[in-house]
Amino acid sequence: MFLALKEIKREKLRYSLIIGMIVLISYLIFILTSLALGLARQNTDAINSWNVNTVVLNQDANVNLSQSLITDKQVKDQGLTGKDALIGQISVVAKEGQHDKISSTFLGIDNNQFIAKNLKLTSGHKMKKSHEVVVDDKFEQSGYKLNDKIKLNNDDVAYKIVGFTHNAKLNIAPVIYGSLSDWRTLKHALPQTEASAIVSKTKKLDVSTPLKAYTTNAFIEKLPGYSAQNMTFSLMIGFLMVISLIVIAIFLYILTIQKLPNYAVLRAQGIPSRVLVWSTIAQSLILVLGGVIIGAILTTITAFTMPAAVPMAFDIPALAAVGAGLMVTALLGGLLPIRSVIKVDPVSVIGG
Amino acid sequence: MTTAIEMSDINQIYGKGIAEVHVLHDVNFKAEPGTLSLIIGPSGSGKSTFLTIAGGLRTPTSGSVKVNNQNYHDSSRKELEKLRLNDIGFVLQNYHLLPFLTVRDQFKLVDKVKKNNNLSTEELNTLLKQLGIDDLINKYPTELSGGQQQRVAIARALYPDPSIILADEPTAALDSARVEEVGKLFSDLAHERNKAVVIVTHDLRLRAFADQMFEINDGILTKAAIDL
Repeated sequence: MFLALKEIKREKLRYSLIIGMIVLISYLIFILTSLALGLARQNTDAINSWNVNTVVLNQDANVNLSQSLITDKQVKDQGLTGKDALIGQISVVAKEGQHDKISSTFLGIDNNQFIAKNLKLTSGHKMKKSHEVVVDDKFEQSGYKLNDKIKLNNDDVAYKIVGFTHNAKLNIAPVIYGSLSDWRTLKHALPQTEASAIVSKTKKLDVSTPLKAYTTNAFIEKLPGYSAQNMTFSLMIGFLMVISLIVIAIFLYILTIQKLPNYAVLRAQGIPSRVLVWSTIAQSLILVLGGVIIGAILTTITAFTMPAAVPMAFDIPALAAVGAGLMVTALLGGLLPIRSVIKVDPVSVIGG
Repeated sequence: MTTAIEMSDINQIYGKGIAEVHVLHDVNFKAEPGTLSLIIGPSGSGKSTFLTIAGGLRTPTSGSVKVNNQNYHDSSRKELEKLRLNDIGFVLQNYHLLPFLTVRDQFKLVDKVKKNNNLSTEELNTLLKQLGIDDLINKYPTELSGGQQQRVAIARALYPDPSIILADEPTAALDSARVEEVGKLFSDLAHERNKAVVIVTHDLRLRAFADQMFEINDGILTKAAIDL
């Protein structure tokens, strides 16, 4: 540590540049992680708020909620318990005279089932009758107010906003909770159509054809674009990690190569190689720790200044894990120069 | 009295076949505590090879080396490292002081590794005064001249208070006045502090301080008269 700190103190500019590069990389990784997490959550916020383990869809729907329809007979045959709830889903465009149109997901639910019962409101009240809706607070952020009347798609009927709820999003779109009968109207569904899906808190639900039960995770993975989006972010974050590893490895390698004659003299004088190896590891950790801390401070500032509309989630455990990952890359990055330090031959400075 | 360095029948051969070079031929050498030995020879004569073998940095092709009765052949890499740290002070022609450490920190580094039996602050100050670098203690190597760096390297090698000092061209970067001072310093270390000092050099100005002198030519070490 002595050597590492002394060198960094002496070579301020050189090490500031390296730390600066690590700051930029770690900041980018933190922001991308937050964005990935935020977008992932916006895909699943509504589902997560229901705390369900199983989603039952029509087997021909290709695990796609919007393609699934379940009839009243199938529901009756299934025999719903208090742990099950029906949902009817349709994508809608919500509009009201003076506000922007909002592409949303209308979810028809039954007031007597757990989704409606457990709905947490930030203001207003739950819907009590048809044409009343509880909407995600994205509407509130866009200027919509309680008692505003919105129109959905090209339906002439106006729906009254009676409540706002927080983080109710499905597949990025804000959710509009309404009644199942309203959903049927919007969907232009046949009279015997009961819902799009049954969601259940039961882990292993027995269903009969043509229904098929999926775990919530399997259902989420099949949400349109969800896996592709997560994989894209994972790839970007992974690449940045590899880039940071290469940057650290190259810089430390170059710096170490320059010091090898000095290290050779020290080795000749009996300074154990572990002292020099530890100095290299310490240097690599100090550089990355410094970079990550500054990156984290910048991320915190960003978190406070970022508009609510930007889908970012600053999850401290997730960001801490990413930070720890960067520290591991620092250690890996130190391996290459360490090899040179271990192999340094004291004879090389004496010749002969 | 224990012989400080005893090298017996040392041969060093590099390469094989037509590329084979016999660098040292049946070298026998002894250095007792309290003596200054001078090994003189031209470039390429095998001086540096001799020094690296004497200091345990290189294993000879054949022959044995004992330092303070410890046979290198029987020692592990760690034991040799410890021996070099505690008992051998290397003064190298390529001094390569760590550029990011001040002169003071060069000694602190030794303290970090060897906690005991280094020179006391008073002894170090005396040594620095003797070498004329006592006012350079807070300077970085890049702020020093070649000669000053050489003297810092000498002080750095002497700081762990080794019983044996192996010096490779220690006066290469020094002017005549400094050669005199450094020669006297090595002589004092041998005669007043009972150290075994071995200097390989082609600087004949150091003859005046030697107790025994050897010539090395084409890898053959022969005793020479100190002809002043």
